[in-house]
Amino acid sequence: MTPRKLLTILVLVGALGFGYYSMNAAPVMSDQDYTYQGGIEWHEDPDEALSVAEQEDKPVLVYYWTTWCTYCQDYEDDHYQNEDIQELLDEYVLLAINLDEPGDGSALASDHDALYPPMHVIIDDNEEILGQLGGFTEEDRFKEELEAGLAAS
Amino acid sequence: MSETVLSMVPASLTAGTLLIVIAAFTGTLAAALLFYSYLAQTDELRKPILLTSGIATVSLVIAHLYLTYQFIVGDYTNAYVYQNSADHLDLLYKVTGVYANHEGSILLWATLTAIVATYTVYSSRFQGLGSRLVQSLSLGVVATFAFMLVTQSPFTPIEVAQSGVPDNYVPADGSGINALLIDPWMAIHPPITFASYALLVVPFALGVTHFVSLFRGQDSVFKEWLPSMIIWLRVSWLLLTAAILFGAIWAYGVLGWGGFWSWDPVETAVLIPWLWLTATLHATNRYSKTGEYKLFAPAAAAFVFPLIIFATTVVRSGVFRSVHSFAAGGIGAGVLFLMVVTGILAIGLPLAYWLLNGGDESSTDRNWLSHGTIFHAVVLSFAVLAFISVWGLLFPVVRSTITGVEVGVGQDHYNLWSYPVVVAMLIVGGLYALLDMRKRRLAIGATVAITLATLVAAFIAPSGNWYLSDPAAHDPIVYRIVGNMSVLSIVPPALFFAGTWAARFVSRARGVPSRSFQMREAGILLIHVGAAVMIIAISFIYLFAASSSAVVVGLEDVGDNPEPIVEESDDGQYTIEVTGYESETTPDVEDAALSPEDVLTAYEENPLVRGEITAVDQIEGTAVAQLDGTDVWVAGDPDSVSFEEGEEIIALGSLFQFDSTEDVGADAYIYTNAENMGTVADPPSDVHTPRVIDHQMDITVYEGDNEVASGTIAAQDHTDSQMNTNDPLIQRGLTGDTYIVATEIDEIGAGLTITEYPLANQIWLGVIMGMVGMVLLLVGDRRRDTN
Repeated sequence: MTPRKLLTILVLVGALGFGYYSMNAAPVMSDQDYTYQGGIEWHEDPDEALSVAEQEDKPVLVYYWTTWCTYCQDYEDDHYQNEDIQELLDEYVLLAINLDEPGDGSALASDHDALYPPMHVIIDDNEEILGQLGGFTEEDRFKEELEAGLAAS
Repeated sequence: MSETVLSMVPASLTAGTLLIVIAAFTGTLAAALLFYSYLAQTDELRKPILLTSGIATVSLVIAHLYLTYQFIVGDYTNAYVYQNSADHLDLLYKVTGVYANHEGSILLWATLTAIVATYTVYSSRFQGLGSRLVQSLSLGVVATFAFMLVTQSPFTPIEVAQSGVPDNYVPADGSGINALLIDPWMAIHPPITFASYALLVVPFALGVTHFVSLFRGQDSVFKEWLPSMIIWLRVSWLLLTAAILFGAIWAYGVLGWGGFWSWDPVETAVLIPWLWLTATLHATNRYSKTGEYKLFAPAAAAFVFPLIIFATTVVRSGVFRSVHSFAAGGIGAGVLFLMVVTGILAIGLPLAYWLLNGGDESSTDRNWLSHGTIFHAVVLSFAVLAFISVWGLLFPVVRSTITGVEVGVGQDHYNLWSYPVVVAMLIVGGLYALLDMRKRRLAIGATVAITLATLVAAFIAPSGNWYLSDPAAHDPIVYRIVGNMSVLSIVPPALFFAGTWAARFVSRARGVPSRSFQMREAGILLIHVGAAVMIIAISFIYLFAASSSAVVVGLEDVGDNPEPIVEESDDGQYTIEVTGYESETTPDVEDAALSPEDVLTAYEENPLVRGEITAVDQIEGTAVAQLDGTDVWVAGDPDSVSFEEGEEIIALGSLFQFDSTEDVGADAYIYTNAENMGTVADPPSDVHTPRVIDHQMDITVYEGDNEVASGTIAAQDHTDSQMNTNDPLIQRGLTGDTYIVATEIDEIGAGLTITEYPLANQIWLGVIMGMVGMVLLLVGDRRRDTN
């Protein structure tokens, strides 16, 4: 066996190993029950989120995201890690909808005209819209929007 | 009689679609005739072949021009024009709107591919072994595109595309183009992208023909066509590189596209064929010198085209959403068909030949540090880089299909896996250059030293910015290892690579009198040094990008006040001076108003109309006025409105439209009132919503006492799509850019982000060096061939 053949085989094996490893090592974004944007538990099923909202008498924060959206990443790395914002988020029932695979959330996404991530919509348990925030905003503005949503509910 | 014939034609078959139908059939016929000529080895059918391929191409070119014409005049009876254009757009964006969406861009691609394919049919230089099969395959691709366009035509009439609209419905205005596409780059980036895609059809067809020919026991097509193949590959590479560069520059200036590169699925998808094409060029060059890669080089050349289709699938399928999702028009079976068939031909044939006849690599090279082995490592590395990107696109889909668990692919996947490969490639590439100079001792010594220097540099991080990433404790170990390396580790390999290739150039070009040889060598040098410059700049730009934010208020008064508004950024680093603010609405009320004729076909409940009063009357206590001598009248309560002959008015009101059988003296009345009516000189306010509100402000930014940027930034509200676009102010400099963008501007105030991007322009410089190098290589080789 020449070095070239051996090299080719080694690279092939390496590539397969990389493929298996990287697929299994990737961070889980969602499983059957919840999705984990920014390390926070979000509901994926709108009906479930709305019924929890009714029980707990809280508004629902709907977060439209995708895996490739860099501004969503900023929200997840910065905004959702901000303690003041987390306190406000506790007052909400959280619902995250992946715009690539909206699943049960597709009706809601089209009601909200959610075409581009990131987008946040605040609704009450009757799906009445209390606030809407398209695109990226600074943390302060995001906080104000969450406060306004709570005041409106 | 003609009416009966016409009524048999379905409404969807418009003149434009008919042109595409003609292209589909003549293209298929040309492909079939060429295939027959190939099999029968005859040239008797040359005339019908020239005719059919010519007709196919001319039909597509005319279809494209016709669609452009429809965009320019605003023919909104065509649903595609209606959906992707509007009256208020500049001519440039009416023309570029042609390829703003799926159908039109496929038409552009098909047209360019047809031009390339037909060029090969007509060209006297493109004859010889297997040429008929090459041409047949190329025209087959054209015909497939054309059939796709027949089923999903950019010429579908609006009454077919939208249900429940009247037959003679003519929308008063188009629904508009995607706001992000209103940008001068729109005139450059897509056409160049599709031109490179179109050229790649020839290497594909040549590669496939090579293997068909081998199976038939004939001579090597690849060998005979090698000089031609190299030119096709190089020109495609040049255009594909330009396409990616222009896309990156565009994305850099658009807020929300994540900067010049964000591993968006589309960016990743187009990088894959680029990497593969680069590997192919290396292998093909090697073949031309040593005869190695006898099977791999033609197979690799053929495989670029299916990868291009794969990239298109990624953009269009909707499976991977991305910044390019405006073009996700439902891809239809056509693209998938093309991907599967070209993929099978490009992979299946070489693989089958290899399995049946064994490998070609007669190399008996047993040395790990030989020229050939090192070169092979580089070719493999390009393939590995391509695979890292392919896999990053695919595995989330694969895993969620199998397990239902969604996993994320962040930039870390691409950056951190690719980084070690790139570092290794730079070192190995440098080693190759030294071996090429027959300096074996030096080569081995220097490589070992540089490898050690790289390892040491990986631990030197003067501040947190220097780490390649910021991995969390639960991240995979590979991310934690690579992520905690210092970016300084890119410097020794990149300098080594650039230095060794410069040394190689000097040693080869010195004393050689041939200008074309020197040109060639200079081209090779520029390509490799450009790559090193680009890699360093890319590695540093984001790690050292630093942002500040600022808020300015009271913009509405800035014009009245001789003193500018001065604000400090939140961190006190910058001072911002605002010297001007204005906002402009498009269209204004005069342009937005319809003519009386348009009111009759637009079917708007509350039209805004503009016209000169040519007659006045009173009917049953209502004042009425005829507009422009047409059958459209405005009406109103005589106590509230007064109409005067000769006055040109603008009015908004409810439309009462009658068909011609009802004798009411007019075709339509628009019932208005005083509030909603006025003269053109003094138009009513609040009667229409402008589609675009463009806020502009003039600013100067100081860091301490130094002015770092000065100019205009703008933000546009697109009211119909509820989108915002931004024009940042980019002050370019040798060490980096100062990039100022407003997330929102209105008369009350604006929020600004000021970012320093170090080495931004070295990215563009590196890529442009590579492109200039490729041009020198092409020209140098051409001169050598003609000498």
